[in-house]
Amino acid sequence: MAACDHGPQGGTPGPPLGDGPRGLVFNVQGFSVHDGPGIRTMVFMKGCPLRCRWCSNPESQSPLPEPALNPGRCLGLGKCGLCLPACPAISAGPGDLPSLDRRVCRECPDALAKAVPRCGQACPARALVVHGRPMGAAGAIAAVERDSVFQARSGGGLTLTGGEPLAQGAFALALLGLARSARVGAAMETSGQAPYGLLREAAARLDFLLYDLKSADPAKHLEYVGAGPETIMGNLISVCRDFPDLPVTVRTPVVPGFNDDRASAEAIGYFLREVPGVSHEALPYHAMGAQKYAFLGRTYEMGDVALGDGALEAFRETVATARRPGKAARQAAARRAANVRDVGD
Amino acid sequence: MGEETDMRELESLGGAGSLSPQEARLGALAQGLPDPLAGRNKRAEALIAGSRGKKPVIDVERALYFTRSMAATEGQPLVLRWAKALRHVAENVSVYCQGDQLLLGRVGKPGRHGILYPELDGDFLGQAVASLPGRAGSPADVSPGDVRLVVGEIAPYWKGRTYHEALSLALPPDVHALTYDDPWGLVSRFIVNETSSFRSSIQWVHDYEKVLRGGFGAIYEEAGRKLGALDPHGVLDQTEKRPFYEAVRIVCQAIAHWARRHADLAEARAAEETDPARRGELARMAAIARRVPWEGARDFREALQSQWFTQLFSRLEQKTGTIVSNGRMDQYLYPFYERDLAAGRIDPEGALELLGCMWVGLYEFVDLYISPAGGAFNEGYAHWEAVTIGGQRPDGTDATNGLSHLFLRSKREFPLHYPDLAARVHARSPRSFLMDVAETIKDGSGFPKLINDEEVVPLYVKKGAEFSEALDYAVSGCTEARMPNRDTYTSGGAYVNFAAALEMALRDGKTLRTGDAALGPRTGDARGFESFDDLWEAYEAQHLNLLRAAFVQQYHVNKLRARHFAQPMGSALHDLAFGHGVDLHQERVPGGLDFGYVEFIGFATVVDSLSALKKLVFEDRRLTMAQVMEALDHDFVGHEAVRALLKSAPAYGNDDPYADSIAKRLDRLSVEFCQKYSKDLGINNDIRYVPFTSHVPFGKVVSATPNGRVAWFPLSDGTSPSQGADVNSPTAILMSNFNSKNNDLSARAARMLNVKFTPGCLRGDAGTGRLVDFIRAFVDLKLWHVQFNVINQETLLRAQSDPDSYRDLIVRIAGYSAYFTDLSRDLQNDLIARTNHGSV
Repeated sequence: MAACDHGPQGGTPGPPLGDGPRGLVFNVQGFSVHDGPGIRTMVFMKGCPLRCRWCSNPESQSPLPEPALNPGRCLGLGKCGLCLPACPAISAGPGDLPSLDRRVCRECPDALAKAVPRCGQACPARALVVHGRPMGAAGAIAAVERDSVFQARSGGGLTLTGGEPLAQGAFALALLGLARSARVGAAMETSGQAPYGLLREAAARLDFLLYDLKSADPAKHLEYVGAGPETIMGNLISVCRDFPDLPVTVRTPVVPGFNDDRASAEAIGYFLREVPGVSHEALPYHAMGAQKYAFLGRTYEMGDVALGDGALEAFRETVATARRPGKAARQAAARRAANVRDVGD
Repeated sequence: MGEETDMRELESLGGAGSLSPQEARLGALAQGLPDPLAGRNKRAEALIAGSRGKKPVIDVERALYFTRSMAATEGQPLVLRWAKALRHVAENVSVYCQGDQLLLGRVGKPGRHGILYPELDGDFLGQAVASLPGRAGSPADVSPGDVRLVVGEIAPYWKGRTYHEALSLALPPDVHALTYDDPWGLVSRFIVNETSSFRSSIQWVHDYEKVLRGGFGAIYEEAGRKLGALDPHGVLDQTEKRPFYEAVRIVCQAIAHWARRHADLAEARAAEETDPARRGELARMAAIARRVPWEGARDFREALQSQWFTQLFSRLEQKTGTIVSNGRMDQYLYPFYERDLAAGRIDPEGALELLGCMWVGLYEFVDLYISPAGGAFNEGYAHWEAVTIGGQRPDGTDATNGLSHLFLRSKREFPLHYPDLAARVHARSPRSFLMDVAETIKDGSGFPKLINDEEVVPLYVKKGAEFSEALDYAVSGCTEARMPNRDTYTSGGAYVNFAAALEMALRDGKTLRTGDAALGPRTGDARGFESFDDLWEAYEAQHLNLLRAAFVQQYHVNKLRARHFAQPMGSALHDLAFGHGVDLHQERVPGGLDFGYVEFIGFATVVDSLSALKKLVFEDRRLTMAQVMEALDHDFVGHEAVRALLKSAPAYGNDDPYADSIAKRLDRLSVEFCQKYSKDLGINNDIRYVPFTSHVPFGKVVSATPNGRVAWFPLSDGTSPSQGADVNSPTAILMSNFNSKNNDLSARAARMLNVKFTPGCLRGDAGTGRLVDFIRAFVDLKLWHVQFNVINQETLLRAQSDPDSYRDLIVRIAGYSAYFTDLSRDLQNDLIARTNHGSV
């Protein structure tokens, strides 16, 4: 993380907003080594059209600034209590802890105006933080450029992620445009759930694309993700067709009960055969985000499921080797069927 | 808070793939599984099996014979007395021929051992030796008979004659009060700590190549020619140079005599030996020791034995800070190795076995500090006989060779935390070398540490070295770089507690620990400060006062040492000292470069404290100075919210210009002072940031600080961020380090920097590649030093609660590596408190 940025915890103000479009960002994070080539700085953008049940960044979903309360960090009202005067939504709750009335938060004029609410500055222990603060595109790129010495050496750069970066389309395009003119390598991690025109504009400014594909099964996708996969799959085909030179890595989180079965892996494998040239990564499910749901006053619906032994490896293997029966195979099957009929005749 | 990548990282912590090899090995041992390294170093394993985990013993022979000779030579020139004392030691100390060792020579009893230097601390040696076995940190055993020798004979001779007493008497009262806690100078104040009395030389590297080339015989002959060329009527030639060259000749004969005593012993052992294989080894060892170090070495094995005798005799000669370093081993040994390989006399396995024998010898020697201050500085018997690999040749071409890689392999496969491996890196270091370095770092013991040619070489040229000398530097001790024939300054510098300066700035020149007596200028109570400028003005006054005291201290150190110390062997190996007939401990050696330093202790502690007050009191006005002082007075008890607010301020180590600009200003204040007043001392007395473990005892005299640090807790170390304050990324740590440097000034020296990674974030070849990228960026940024801790925090916690299962856990603290379980609980906690950088 760079500049004056103290990340999702709030604290000191971020870099100057500068001119141009502004967006809501909930974290800027340096030394990312698993999301695109080289050493990268991730810009995490607020807002997502999807609601994946296992989402490990639930604070990214809402398009507005959102308070989170981590009681483990709270000093206790007896020792501190600095949050109480900050906002009427905060009152003394049980166990010497503050209580947050999220009904009031939903009406928060600051949040609705996409400004940082007062409660985000009140808590010295960073038990109460606000996820999401306004940032100018120029400021965000300046923050990314602070690590340019590492990026230059490693072939790294910026990775735009979220949330869904294209949910703040104009801001995302402005960031990518500035990255290009600043010669900062640009990658984007997207859910693919966006109008294709927007994705195309973004892809034109990218050096690398990370593309999530959770499932190719429409019913399951709808049930677990909150939307069907059709747009996502269609967009992937289009973007690969329109940008044949853009390196694309498709990533699938392998989630127990959702897509950890052979059929799901096969379906993804079959689909990937139609978009040649992309690479695929399967990522293991984890429940590390579960705690964050509680901080946001929400419930983590996955419970305590876990991925079975070998499930990840099996998934990878299936995706890599799955072949839909081809034309020759279909003809052979038809001939065999015909022969059977001949004999029968 | 976790994002996608962070989550994956955390999840995989439990999996085998994310454990460093060291952790996996210790985990296996804890479960009673076989040691995966077993069998790689059979000879070394057998040698260390007996002494592992046992309390070291004190060997008093060196002190005894040294003292007896010195008592018999009073009145003679010091350098001559020193040489005669060494001869007496060489003739009388016990010699050993141990187990299956292939190298001959040790300077004390079998097992882990330390020796005594009463010329340094003989005034309190008697009482100290008796209490050593029960000392909490770094205890050592000593036999009752030896205690009687120390108390009855050795200590009484030195009473009134030690350097330490002379220094304590020489310091002006105000400087004495900042240096010592008592009138006799027995207890350190840990504010302007002197280090010149617990080692007679700072870390040092000999020109070992000289010994390998012609042996001490050639030096003896040359000294004879020098004697013959002296002006028979020249007063200086006859009173100063004659005793010098005579001393050199005595010491050359002494080391050869000592080596031949080993040869005699090995021959006698061979005669008794029934195993023909071992009998052959012993006979060969005897033949080698009969030849070297008097004559030049002819092959790899002779070269290694010759070097080993030389560094051991150096230990007998004097106490060198961190113990004398090994120099550029991959350079001066390479011609021998290459020839032997070509001739089929050796293979890599054979060379590794010999190196392992030397590492066992390094391990078995402990750096014993008798004084409480010395012990606190170097906890865990730490010593750093740095072995340098890589870097550039004197002509600026890359120096990496096959031996560089062999040393890395030896480091990975050897089960102990020796040698202290240091890799020189530069803009053109080959990728193959850096990948091998990164793989070795990932092994988890933190080796090798990295020193950056791109910072050291230009800086040394600016300070007066030729390019060819600067390009040929060797890493010395913890983080220093030495030019073995050009460096001539041997005095320990002052370690200055600037967190104490901060406390004095807030408390009108006083500290909570020392009470009403003001130690610094009366700059007023902090409650009266109305702006950050007021605070800075008070801080600057206290800061400069401590720097002034450090320089005054160093002035007296420089004047006194020449009368107390000599090193005829070290001087014999040095072109300038030998050429001019001047002992290296004299104040001036013609043509020499004198690189001294003032140690900045508590850098990030002070930066973060000033940042917190600036932000919260004078800018945001969320706190008043009165509230802060009230909280500090009560160590934050009942003031937890004030503490949390202070801790939320911008902190050094996050690439945050708010804090980093304060850091740069602080560095500048110090470097400018040194640049201005070094002239008065006639040396380069530069700002350095290398605390060893001293940030722990220095922290014990400083009450709560405005960065939220509680009273008596360790200060920040080197130029590393405050413990747990680096909440961003490891790249930000490097950037802050860069941001806080004043590259336009030259009165700067080593800056130690620790960066910690979890193994998971470096896993696989891709992870190794990223670590190499990180190292390349470190080179580009021209930072002096970096070292890595690749370890999971959970491992440290488990080791703390179950020390027996983790006796072998190696950690890096402040420029060296030690066993985690050898450290005090305070230091363990300090390590655990630091932010662990996963792949965030």
